[in-house]
Amino acid sequence: MSVLVQARGLGKSYPRVFRRSDRLRALVNLLAGRASGEVTPVLQDIDLKVARGQSLGLIGDNGAGKSTLLKLLTGVLTPTHGRVEVNGRIGALLELGAGFHPEYSGRDNIAMSATLQGFSADELAARLDDIVAFADIGHYIDEPVKHYSSGMVVRLGFAIVAATRPDLLITDEVLAVGDESFQKKCIRWMEDYLDQGGTLILVSHSMYHIQKLCRQALWLRQGRMQACGDVFEVTQAYLAYHERKSAGEDSRARDLDAVRGLEFHVRTMRVNGEEAETLPALEQGAALTVEATIASRDGRVPVVNIGIARGDGTPVYGVSSDMDGVQPAPLPDGDYRIVLHFAELPLLPASYTIRVHPLDSEGMRLFDTVERTLTVRGRSPESGLVRLAHVWEHAAPLSRSRSE
Amino acid sequence: MSPTLSPRTARIASVFGLALQLARRDLRNRYLGSFSGGAWALVQPLVQLAVYSFVFGYIFRQRLPGADAPGYVPFLVVVLWPWTAFAEAVSRATTAIQDNASLIGKVALPRSALVLAPVLAAFAVHGVGYLGLLLVLLVVGAGIAPAGLAAMLPALALLFLFALGLALLLSALQVFVRDIAPALPQLLMLWMFLSPVFYGRNVMPEAARPWFDLNPMTGFAEYLRFMLLGMPAPGWPALACSFAGVALAVLAGGFAFRRLQRHFEDFL
Repeated sequence: MSVLVQARGLGKSYPRVFRRSDRLRALVNLLAGRASGEVTPVLQDIDLKVARGQSLGLIGDNGAGKSTLLKLLTGVLTPTHGRVEVNGRIGALLELGAGFHPEYSGRDNIAMSATLQGFSADELAARLDDIVAFADIGHYIDEPVKHYSSGMVVRLGFAIVAATRPDLLITDEVLAVGDESFQKKCIRWMEDYLDQGGTLILVSHSMYHIQKLCRQALWLRQGRMQACGDVFEVTQAYLAYHERKSAGEDSRARDLDAVRGLEFHVRTMRVNGEEAETLPALEQGAALTVEATIASRDGRVPVVNIGIARGDGTPVYGVSSDMDGVQPAPLPDGDYRIVLHFAELPLLPASYTIRVHPLDSEGMRLFDTVERTLTVRGRSPESGLVRLAHVWEHAAPLSRSRSE
Repeated sequence: MSPTLSPRTARIASVFGLALQLARRDLRNRYLGSFSGGAWALVQPLVQLAVYSFVFGYIFRQRLPGADAPGYVPFLVVVLWPWTAFAEAVSRATTAIQDNASLIGKVALPRSALVLAPVLAAFAVHGVGYLGLLLVLLVVGAGIAPAGLAAMLPALALLFLFALGLALLLSALQVFVRDIAPALPQLLMLWMFLSPVFYGRNVMPEAARPWFDLNPMTGFAEYLRFMLLGMPAPGWPALACSFAGVALAVLAGGFAFRRLQRHFEDFL
């Protein structure tokens, strides 16, 4: 497979310019061939390789550097560090109306964009009708772009890119502006384009679009690569991070000394035999074993509650030993130990928290909480928390075709 | 199949093609609102010629300095139009990068094309006007030498390079130091009056005349009058200074633009 785009050690920094004299100093430094002075890094150490026919989704919070990375790849911005190599023609849809002149008509802007992408007048003339038809904005094509709605601007921009059939298509989150039917048209076009061996780099906040169109994903966080790889793994990790963020996790740490003085506390917790805080990812449908050893100050038998919650705190399932009419069995050293076993975990791919709480013998007072983070891995596109057992009836086998 | 070009030539060709497109769009936009459309570009210099003939021929009765002169209006026109093209090219191009800031952060395009475009546009508009005026003067028998029409072309080409060099330099500096564009009209006007545009060197006091050689514009003005009107040829020092000025402008402009262009987006 030939490499279409390769970035090595890519970084971008912006100079800090506060006073007027800063500009002059930067000018003198740059003319002398030195660095411009103090800088703020927005993107650091990006290594990226996109082969022909690949599709890469870029995800990350606002301000993570996604757009900057796209602009570096397309050559709109020049990198401060590292280098980008491109072996093909790029078609980019970066910002709403980028490159359009508001005073000129849609047709004039089509001509200008085509020139910017290196097309001759003949090639443009051959494609003009296609572009106008794809944009489908009626008589507005002959009106100045300043009279367009933002949806029309996107339609025109996408129509131009679509007609030029680039080797690599790069789009930022602009498609979201288009209406439902146009979005569908674009997605269908992109699927077609990918089927025919096209290469795509897509920025989107819609994990649905990313998972639908991309095989690979890159998660940018504060200008650095947080994760890169299979689209399902990266998007799930990203969503889990968001769930944890909105649940305000990491705030309460367990105070071990205080806990030791309590009537009951968790001495050890093992998930699938592992004691680590963050567990190795589990395949969807695999078995899960939670083992809890509880220290009892007064030798009484505890009730053990084990719960599973989504990363954002949504409870999925919780059960206590006494509900099922059992209790932890004593160990020789006076502790109590119990093991809970799920044969086939029905959880859908995402990040989860598993909690163990000892309660007093009556199951009334809760004493301690120990939790572990568990990632369930899988390629399942189902939505929700768990897979419910189901059967389709009156159904025929699906004939897979993309061109509806 | 197009003949294979070296990457460098291909790049220059693409910059030039893009600049042409930009210049054409700019010109069309400039004349779009007027009723006469493109004809205005030809009519305007003719009207201006009529005004100059009236003002200098009847009101001021300006006598041409020097005995062998063909009259003041041809004397003025032959130098004023190239100067106007030069001055307009430089002043428009100086803000070219700044004015297109919205393009620079969003579209991948060779930045030098943005500077080349206004220079091309200015020379195209005033070049057409200049040619029209010279033809009119030729027809009315104002003493224009037909052979001079071809001989002036290398001078205009050099003047174009001069403007382009200065435009590259000033547009790059303007991104960082915004004081250049507002000061430029005054400086250009001062330069015009220090150059032999409205007058000839021979009306100056004897002591001042050699100093004119240091002004690169002197060589251009005197060459054009020599070729088109048969006035005295410029001396070697003046021509040498013109060549040196052009070379310096192109080298300095090219150097500064190459060094600075990758940082434009950070300072716009």
